[in-house]
Amino acid sequence: MSATVIQTPFRPDPGVLQDLRNQIQAIERHASPKSLGTGQDNGDQSAADAFAPVVVPQDAVSLGAPEIDAALPWNGFPTRGLHEVFGDAAAHGFSAALLARLAGTRGGSAPILWCQHGRDLCGQGLMAYGIDPNRVIIVHGKNDTDILWAMEEGLRSACLSAVIGQLYRVPPIAGRRLQLAAEENGTTGLLLRATPGKTQTQAPTAAALTRWRVLSAPSITPAQGLGLAQRGLGKPNWHLELQRCRLSAAEGKQLESAGRPQSWQVEWCDETGDLSVVPGLRDGSVQPQRLKAAG
Amino acid sequence: MDRYSRNALRQRGKHPSRKPENTPLATVAAVHGGQRIMAANPAARLEGVQVGQSLADARAFYPALAIRQADPAQDLKALDALSAACERYTPWVAIDPFGGGLGNGVDSGLSGAGLWLDITGCAHLFGGEEALLDDLLHRLTKAGYHARAGLAATAGAAWALARFAVHNQNPGVILPAGQNITAAIASLPMAGLRLDGDAVEGLERMGLRKIGDLYSVPRAPLSGRFGGSVLRRLDQALGALEETLSPRRPPPAFYSRLAFADPIGRREDIEAALARLLELLCADLEKSNQGARRLVLSLFRIDNTIVRVHAGTSRPNRDLAHLARLFQEELDKVDPGFGIDAVVLVATETNTLAARQIGLNGGVDDVTQENAAKLVDRLAGRLGPGNITRLQPIASHLPERASRETSASKALEDGDQDWKGPVRRPPRPLQLLTQPLPIDVMAPVPDGPPVLFRWRKRQHRVRAAEGPERITPEWWRIEGDNRDTRPLSNDVRDYYRVEDEEGKRFWLYREGLYRPDLPPTWYIYGFFA
Repeated sequence: MSATVIQTPFRPDPGVLQDLRNQIQAIERHASPKSLGTGQDNGDQSAADAFAPVVVPQDAVSLGAPEIDAALPWNGFPTRGLHEVFGDAAAHGFSAALLARLAGTRGGSAPILWCQHGRDLCGQGLMAYGIDPNRVIIVHGKNDTDILWAMEEGLRSACLSAVIGQLYRVPPIAGRRLQLAAEENGTTGLLLRATPGKTQTQAPTAAALTRWRVLSAPSITPAQGLGLAQRGLGKPNWHLELQRCRLSAAEGKQLESAGRPQSWQVEWCDETGDLSVVPGLRDGSVQPQRLKAAG
Repeated sequence: MDRYSRNALRQRGKHPSRKPENTPLATVAAVHGGQRIMAANPAARLEGVQVGQSLADARAFYPALAIRQADPAQDLKALDALSAACERYTPWVAIDPFGGGLGNGVDSGLSGAGLWLDITGCAHLFGGEEALLDDLLHRLTKAGYHARAGLAATAGAAWALARFAVHNQNPGVILPAGQNITAAIASLPMAGLRLDGDAVEGLERMGLRKIGDLYSVPRAPLSGRFGGSVLRRLDQALGALEETLSPRRPPPAFYSRLAFADPIGRREDIEAALARLLELLCADLEKSNQGARRLVLSLFRIDNTIVRVHAGTSRPNRDLAHLARLFQEELDKVDPGFGIDAVVLVATETNTLAARQIGLNGGVDDVTQENAAKLVDRLAGRLGPGNITRLQPIASHLPERASRETSASKALEDGDQDWKGPVRRPPRPLQLLTQPLPIDVMAPVPDGPPVLFRWRKRQHRVRAAEGPERITPEWWRIEGDNRDTRPLSNDVRDYYRVEDEEGKRFWLYREGLYRPDLPPTWYIYGFFA
């Protein structure tokens, strides 16, 4: 007779693991300098705190401009839900700037899913917007169906910091599905619907939380009167228009007011990645500098 | 009992099919300080050229003998490709690279190289042994090889038959099952036993020229004089001693199989079978700390056809639900025909996947990474691996070469790349056209930026410009060598960032230096936001 050794791999019980984690967290909380002094007074309180979820997802990220943050009901750009960006090439820039700000939301290492038809994304260009190209997974779809499917898979996987899709047409049902997937899994979905010529013909998606229109605006050039090549380009200026802003069904109870349509002239700073509102131009009192023909 | 088929291949130079059949040709190599013939084609052999001869001797027989340098590495590669082609007959194909040089003393080189095909249980698929052998020889001849084949119940006998029992009229010899091997190979020369030159010579000196001569010789003195090899080879040829061959393609280490009493055809049944197979396979994988990278599900239909479904993962994985999901898309396309009576799941590629220690924070980072890999698998399963990509930097100043898209699953494996680079370059656009488009430009200064340009039927008046950034072509690359890049031209380029009156920003470049006689060509290459 010989004994047989049966190898059974160890499978931990998730419930036990969670209990242990909670215990450790409770210990750590007691040891932290803040709670050391008050540990005896409200011990019940901190024990209750220990059962709070480990990772608290951020609800909104700041866009860097307090005026725009304040105009949004979430006091910043919400990290969950579907958003829509129309416009010309500036819409790409605005989306990239948003993605860079969203990249840090899920532990910093979570990738971005970029779904598009063409192959025109430039890695060095992404770098300029503060997006690490290593974090970008590009999906090439043959048609809108593929891209919508890939976006929904990405949103449902709940492991991405954001999903962006360049689309021509979004059927209403597909839009609602994306919004639901984005909201349930706490991921941001961006529909980038920039077409250089015919921006008007596209029907917007009703399901999206926010709708933006971003158009290029003349930048503030450093000096007048120099030759064309010496003058240089200023920071990119965009005409940013918040066209629609609605609250999702769940949020409707917590937040009282939705955002109102508003528009700003913004400048984007490539060093900080911040947007800033250009004050003088908002009401059109100062015209941007115009170049005299063939100067 | 196993049935072996064996081919002895004679190679006629590197490109056999391109050489005229009737030109004497031989390959030579330096052996023991002299040029020796390693292989010769039939025309050369007719002229008296023999393998193992020195080149001088061969030239004495036939002065106009064409020669090529023997290239054993290349020959081995060709043999490998050939063996892969032979897997159409049986999965059990082994390479026999050093066949002993047809017993004429030259034991290096590939002149006697061959392949073993274990066709046990395969012959009926091709209409019998004879038909299989004919088909095999026909295909090899068409590919430009002089092939000879022997088929017998033992590997040793097949080897001897292929080399010594065949002649030009009948290149394939079959010893039917049940016939006496002892009698069949008795009249073949001693070299047919796969012995080295010295042993053959020694036996011949004792008057033992044919294999049959050994039958009556007492065994003890024989092994005393020649060592065990002679008797071992004899016993192997006669089937008294087992001989194992190592197939070229190793048998799968991880597989699971299910056979059904009644054929199945419904999608749900196939899914259930797949789930059971995965369960068995993953249990095996888990025991040996492996994770699947590539899976093949073979569905054996009752009309003798096999449907194969492939799935790949970007990280070693043994998660039942995830693997099952990878097959979903493909299973939609499977036509079960009249029914499926067996399914086999093979993990063709596996990597180490040890149980991991989860971090105290619940392993948020690890879980994210793993989920991302799973997402890539799912996307690649439906859209194709080439459509799920990641950008990789290349050390080049040229914008079209500076990055490349690679498959995301491979990129996840390779890890992060350094995008910063040693030089700080002027900004690059977010959107870079796959191909620069020519534009009409008005530039007052030949070396300056344009003031006006026309693109897509619209006129853009430039209000600010930045540049030039001059990039010269990479002279160290061969002209026209643009396999991995967008089209490359060999002119100096001056790149400008320009902004038009609406604030739209473009990346333009002028190709070539200023020449009074030739107006420069301008291109649009990308869009800044």
